[in-house]
Amino acid sequence: MITRQLGSEVRWMLRRPRTLIGLFGLVLVPIVISFGIWTADGDGGGPGIAAILRGNGMVVPIFTLFLSLNLLLPLVASIWAADGLAGEAQHGTLRGLLVAPVSRVRLLFVKLFGLTAMSLFAVTLMAVVGIIAGTAFLGNDGMMTLSGTTLTTAEGLLRIAFFVVLVTFQMVAVGAVALAVSATTEHPLVVQAATMTSIIVFQVLGQFSSLDWLHPFLITTGFPGLVDVMRDPIPFDQISDSTLLAGCYLLIGTGLAAIRLVTKDS
Amino acid sequence: MNKRKVTLAAAAAGVLTGATGLSLLAMPAGAGQPPSLPPVAPETLVEQVLTSEPGAFGGTIEVDNKLGLPAIAEIPQLADGKHSGRVWTDGNGKMRLALPNGQSEQTIVDDGTTTWVWNSADNEVTKSERRADKPDAEPDAKAADPATAAKEIVGLTKEFSDISVDGTARVANRAAYELVLTPKASEKTLVREVRIAVDAELKMPLRVAVLTNGTAEPAGTVGFTEINVGPQDAKLFEFTPPANAEVTTPEAKEREGREKRPEAGVEQALRGEDPQVFGTGWDTVLGARIPTEAMTQVPAEAQGLVDRFTKEVSGSWGSGKLFTTKVATVLIADDGRVVAGAVPEQVLFDTIGQVK
Amino acid sequence: MTTSASAPAAAPSTTAVAARTKGLRKEYGSTVAVDRVDLELPEGAVLGMLGPNGSGKTTTIRMLLGLVRPTQGEIELLGTPLPDGAEQALPHVGALVEGPGFHPFLSGRENLVRCAAFEPLLPKKQIKQAVEDALERVGLAQAAHRRFRGYSLGMKQRLGLAAALLVPRKLVVLDEPTNGLDPAGTREIRKIIAELHEQGSTVLVSSHLLSEVEATCTHVAVLHRGTVVAQGELTELLQAGGSALHVITPDVETALSALRQAKISARPLGDGLRVELAGTSAPQVIETLVKAGAGVYEATRWKTGLEELFARLTEAEEAERGMSAVDTLDGGAR
Repeated sequence: MITRQLGSEVRWMLRRPRTLIGLFGLVLVPIVISFGIWTADGDGGGPGIAAILRGNGMVVPIFTLFLSLNLLLPLVASIWAADGLAGEAQHGTLRGLLVAPVSRVRLLFVKLFGLTAMSLFAVTLMAVVGIIAGTAFLGNDGMMTLSGTTLTTAEGLLRIAFFVVLVTFQMVAVGAVALAVSATTEHPLVVQAATMTSIIVFQVLGQFSSLDWLHPFLITTGFPGLVDVMRDPIPFDQISDSTLLAGCYLLIGTGLAAIRLVTKDS
Repeated sequence: MNKRKVTLAAAAAGVLTGATGLSLLAMPAGAGQPPSLPPVAPETLVEQVLTSEPGAFGGTIEVDNKLGLPAIAEIPQLADGKHSGRVWTDGNGKMRLALPNGQSEQTIVDDGTTTWVWNSADNEVTKSERRADKPDAEPDAKAADPATAAKEIVGLTKEFSDISVDGTARVANRAAYELVLTPKASEKTLVREVRIAVDAELKMPLRVAVLTNGTAEPAGTVGFTEINVGPQDAKLFEFTPPANAEVTTPEAKEREGREKRPEAGVEQALRGEDPQVFGTGWDTVLGARIPTEAMTQVPAEAQGLVDRFTKEVSGSWGSGKLFTTKVATVLIADDGRVVAGAVPEQVLFDTIGQVK
Repeated sequence: MTTSASAPAAAPSTTAVAARTKGLRKEYGSTVAVDRVDLELPEGAVLGMLGPNGSGKTTTIRMLLGLVRPTQGEIELLGTPLPDGAEQALPHVGALVEGPGFHPFLSGRENLVRCAAFEPLLPKKQIKQAVEDALERVGLAQAAHRRFRGYSLGMKQRLGLAAALLVPRKLVVLDEPTNGLDPAGTREIRKIIAELHEQGSTVLVSSHLLSEVEATCTHVAVLHRGTVVAQGELTELLQAGGSALHVITPDVETALSALRQAKISARPLGDGLRVELAGTSAPQVIETLVKAGAGVYEATRWKTGLEELFARLTEAEEAERGMSAVDTLDGGAR
């Protein structure tokens, strides 16, 4: 029963025109980046990972995801979360599901699963396209790390897979909080606006060093630390901090969404 | 009724756990209960520190810098704030240092014969063969390692300090004694005390904190936040320049004139062939004379930077620029004479006349 | 009229009950949407729920389906208490509430398949067949491949009905099922309700179309201002509502005064009188008139329509009469 519900949820998400457009947009990012670096003259493309992109196609997926995590991926996660509960309420389909009946906790689980599955799919898709585009435009001679060492292609793929999981988890954490918002309203746009505003405000707040007491509470603080995947050997402390931070958001988001759903009149 | 209540309770517990987790993550890692260790005589501890052979280890170092130094783009690790890096050593002169700088990284590998400096930001490798007469090929690297730094401090100043052991501490999850070096009253220095956390087992310094007059917080702390003692992966001490990276030598860089940092002249002069040393102990002052051409070569914008962080001073000795931090003072006279030390500016004014 | 009300009493309480509410109350903030609703839905009945907009019909239905949690009161649905027993009861309940809710970007068939995936009683293998059957039943088989976005109001309504009928149900709840349907569609809905009734399903229909309810329902519940003002079997309610006699007489004045003396309620109407038969009977009226010397050309029995009953129960101007009628009818229903 639950597997067919989960399957139905993912199929439903994949059938949305909006989802397809979003995925198409996401896939363009690594292609544009690879092409851009390929055509650009001179040295590497700038600070951080961008500097080691040249001739290092395997880094494209990491760079793409790292870049997209700041805005694009939270946006996509918020859209899925918004459609998941607020959108269903708007179309009147939430009532149908509840009367079927699907228990409210199960419904939240189904929605969370859909969000996770689609996030993983989107991130993996970006990574795969990134590997292909990066290899095509920039070449593939193993993966050069920020530490100046060169990993074999197999090691590089492992790093990419690890990064895909980390990024997906961050995305799901954002999505879980968006789901909590989604459970309170019938307007998907409100959910997206609230989520994106928070992400942007968090990032702005992160710039003020006078607010450094606040920074450890902001999920966006954890984003840059994920770049450590590109160091060799990988230092795990920042990565685990970021992941724990996202985990806290996931717990809070899911808990609030559950409370709201269980007490909600539909 | 019950099921609903259970669900609500579980959800509320989830939210609470998440919130607690957030606050725990936000809290600075607590020092924890200081370990109880058998008492040790300060003199014994100092001897043990000086004779200890740290051997192979790998760890993460955190530098907490409140010196009040200006932020210099080329060496952001020196700017105020917390910076961390990772260090590995095999205990026989091979070492690797990884200094993250934002999303970039500087990697320094000393494989015993060659020192490689890799900077991801410009995709460049600087390769320098270790010369027999200069064993400390990378002084920056050495200074960043608290074990070495502490040993040097202890060695240089033990005669001029009151030494005591002030309890214990837990550093990088290891039990340590807090060795405190207090400059003797006769020393004219900015330093109030230096606290060195010495590993109880290995007698290896794990953390050095410098406290200055007039502040309760250390002006600078260098310490391990994580350390694992034992043989390290040999691969860490090898470096193969990435296929598409540019490989240069320090000499080539110098020729291209890329090392034109404003402080470079001063640094070179003080570290040069024969810096002049005045005094002993904590109030030792280093003196040197910068070649006039080096003084005039400083680019205009760099000169502007220097001007921003220094103040014009003059006296019977002449006139020049004074650069002060909480632990050190540097005086650069307009004629190229330079004196520096962990001393108040008056000591420099008194000393500069002796610079040849 | 109050006197005859107690006659048609107490029939439904002996039969089994598909749904029952007791003292149901729902507050939204400071407004009370529904209060003291005691509803009884006998098994196998077709209950028409009537009431003006805002009378609490939809809120009551949503509470019956576990969508809304009552502030106070008890609900029993197919033998289990709600909202906690929802998971046992609801699989046997098909519902079309507050208009059909579907995803505009999916076709009618895809929408139904999605609904079917969440039906606990529908084995996976039967989903395809069940969807086709439901589409066929509501006459949407031809349009099943089209996107829901392009459906007419009537088609949307039918799809909603199809979703409610995906699985054989013990209870079907239809909120305004004929909304937006043309007369042919309305007839089809009536046919479907009749079929469900024949198969033994219980049906709850809320409607503002009285003729609709009169044509299809066996039972009626009238809601007004959040409370049930009348409920019971349709025929009994109509009788209890009292019938009247239309008497055509040239001597209106004489007839009126004679009837008043006999304490029979009457009023002039057109070329004659309207005489209420509450508390009296037709022969008695005629006898009174004849005795008084008023000529009776014609006397027609005037049965109360549901519309009249409804109006009397809910119109504000007639609050007092309405209230007395409520007491009567309510009593009659119990």
